[in-house]
Amino acid sequence: MTDANDPMRVEYGAELAGLQVVRQSPPPAAASFSATYVGPAGWGFDPPGREGTARLVNQLIASAAGKYDRVELARRLDRAGATLSHQCSPESAEATIWGPATEWLPLLGILADVVLRPRFDPADVARVRRQVLERQLRELAQPAPRADREMLRAVFPKGHPYRETGLGDRRTVGRLGRSELVRFHREHYTSGGAILVVTAPARLASIERAARRLFGRFERSRAPQPTLPPVAARSATVRSIDLPGRSQVEVRVGGPSVARSDPEYPAAFLANELLGGRPLLSRLFQRIRERGGLAYHASSELEAMRWGGYWMAQAGTGADRWRRVVPMLADEVDRLRRTTVRPAELRVIRESAIGEIPLALESTIEAHDLAVDLAYHHLPADYWARWPGLLRAVGPADVRRAAETAIDRRTAATVVAGPVGQR
Amino acid sequence: MQPHGVPRPPTRSFSLPNGLRVVLAPSRSSPTASVWVWYRVGSKNERPGITGASHWVEHMLFQGSPRYGKGEIDRAVVSVGGELNAFTDADFTAYFTTVPREHLAVPLDIESDRMTRALITDQEVERERTVIHSEREGNENWPEFRVEEELFQLGFRVHPYRWDALGRRRDIEQMSPAELREYYRRFYGTRNAILVIAGGFDPRATAAEVRRRFSPLPASGESVDVKDVEPEPRGERRSELSGPGTTPYLQIGWRSPALADPETPATMLLDALLGGETRMFAAGSVWGRSAEHPSARLYRALVDTGLAVHATSDWRPRAYPGLFTVQAQAARGVSLDRLESAIGAVVARLARYGPTAAEMDDVRTKIRRGVALSYEGASRAGFRLGYFSVLRSMALEDELFRGILRVPAREVRERARALFRDEARVVVRYEPTGEAGRD
Repeated sequence: MTDANDPMRVEYGAELAGLQVVRQSPPPAAASFSATYVGPAGWGFDPPGREGTARLVNQLIASAAGKYDRVELARRLDRAGATLSHQCSPESAEATIWGPATEWLPLLGILADVVLRPRFDPADVARVRRQVLERQLRELAQPAPRADREMLRAVFPKGHPYRETGLGDRRTVGRLGRSELVRFHREHYTSGGAILVVTAPARLASIERAARRLFGRFERSRAPQPTLPPVAARSATVRSIDLPGRSQVEVRVGGPSVARSDPEYPAAFLANELLGGRPLLSRLFQRIRERGGLAYHASSELEAMRWGGYWMAQAGTGADRWRRVVPMLADEVDRLRRTTVRPAELRVIRESAIGEIPLALESTIEAHDLAVDLAYHHLPADYWARWPGLLRAVGPADVRRAAETAIDRRTAATVVAGPVGQR
Repeated sequence: MQPHGVPRPPTRSFSLPNGLRVVLAPSRSSPTASVWVWYRVGSKNERPGITGASHWVEHMLFQGSPRYGKGEIDRAVVSVGGELNAFTDADFTAYFTTVPREHLAVPLDIESDRMTRALITDQEVERERTVIHSEREGNENWPEFRVEEELFQLGFRVHPYRWDALGRRRDIEQMSPAELREYYRRFYGTRNAILVIAGGFDPRATAAEVRRRFSPLPASGESVDVKDVEPEPRGERRSELSGPGTTPYLQIGWRSPALADPETPATMLLDALLGGETRMFAAGSVWGRSAEHPSARLYRALVDTGLAVHATSDWRPRAYPGLFTVQAQAARGVSLDRLESAIGAVVARLARYGPTAAEMDDVRTKIRRGVALSYEGASRAGFRLGYFSVLRSMALEDELFRGILRVPAREVRERARALFRDEARVVVRYEPTGEAGRD
């Protein structure tokens, strides 16, 4: 397999007025194509007092675009056998189109319409606003999203993008007008700081040509810069939210962590895998579910992003069990930096992480996610091919050192949300 | 495009003398191999007192068998980079493992070991009881789960579809290890199982390997047919729930045909027309990706007009008559009376006038294009081949697909008239109490 045909490697192409074009080959025998635009349009750029803007805009771009209203856009996708999805994070917003590889060029045209020419029809704005308002309520009333929300609010200071979930509140979303949404789109769905990743059976030159034609309307722009208040080290905090009438208590323990570009990232990645990132083998799953029988889910995650990151250990358990689960979560987090992992345990986790790479190459959808991740973080074109080597270079002492800075409970917040007032 | 059926990969099928059915779908270029074992056992085979047994057995099959001690199944698969899981439905239970292709022997060894010889010890059953309880509690946190459970409870008085696959709370608390072992012994065996292997492997060598590992298993597995026949409903049934939550929510169900009914393709079209989902014929995966369907009738009538923030329909093929459901979440300030009335108007209009030619063309095109990529990747192939096989046969997929392309709009209208009858309707409404939590 040549490098150009290897889905583990990408090709960085031209920058079109600042838009970085990236090409990936689909996995062998895959008959689908996928393309993603990622732009600096996350909720970290929400104007003050207008929180919720980025989420609304992201949902609206996928609603109606160019000459197609919402129904016509949906019909156009259906008739092509394609799907369009969208996603928003603190740092960025993205739109992804997936469909038959034979249709890659017209589908890329739809993606360009969505990114460049959303309509923001007033009826769509009203509908999306209603949906976001409902999600705000749900975020407050449901134990799992409420626990996530409160943990982030306890870890990050006011004004930090990672502190929020991007939904705003009733007041900020209620006063957003169409013109403000259009302005946000104009300023943030730009070429500067954006990437276009295409996984298709086409040469890079063809993709660049198509991108130049379809996205040519972009004017050269600079990536907007976020305002990031410093994340000061805090002492550990505990917060409980009583949600009477629910059945299950959601527990979160989390704190600030490293950015993806941090040299410690591979070691921090493995530390998280040991803790709870690899659910069936991880310490949290083994102790809380398999040995303790105390919860259905017990896991952890490491969100290493461009501007920084956070880690979170979590479990969902009964009203009569959460008091036993919280110290177990805390103890397992502490154990990562208190003791050095046995080489045998690290080896199993590491080889599992390396061994799963072929599973990411089953289909275009999965392979494309790898390419988007790589391109977003400006990683080398052969990063995924080198990933096993990076992980094998990590030793037990490296994991322990990474845990000191990347998964440190001494500055963590603990949140329990659910029927905590119930005995 | 695909005038004769779904573009499935070539398969080789055979049965072992002990009754195990085997489907092989090799794909030379696949970097992975996916092994699925489908049992025709689900919550339909339970009875009051042991509801949730199929799901509990599903958990126990990861807890030990003669060659794999507790935790060793997970470890054997995950340590080679594989992934594994299982799920339980009313009509079936499925276990799957996808591994890098060179490790195909790992899941084959596991499945042959636990098919008839899972240990299910008292100690592990007791420990798993709280895990299952916790799984149920997690679901109960969501009003949608409570409403759907109530809907099926209300919609069926005799048939085992009236309980959820998770089982009733009381049964989870009281079921004994002996009852669980007895359930496993009766139903889990070669006669009720289908082994599907898809992905990168040599079919001849793998067929030989399957025979070597599975032929020694004894022929086992009692009949899983359900004898209880649900009587025709003779009047509307209703229930009102209240509890924590945010916005009012409702589900309406109507008695719908079993999979073998010739009306099935028309029913699937009704689902696609009303809710927009094309289910097992969706683009992207077997169940499709979670997406909004702005061109669907319910969306246009309820979400576009500001009555609801979410509205869709749901119908899945079942071995016995089930429920066709419509669900909607009210927009702020909209009463459930108003929402229910609007849903009634949507289905009544479809029953009176039927779909337009343009709608039929759109839905058919969506389904035709959707299936074109549905077998991409070993895991998806294993799922699809097993899903249709366990419900009836792989040919079912083609039959439904052809039926959908053939059914005229007139028949869809007639189906709507037969389905959306007031006397066959079940309604469950959920009014939230609304509090958002206290520190």
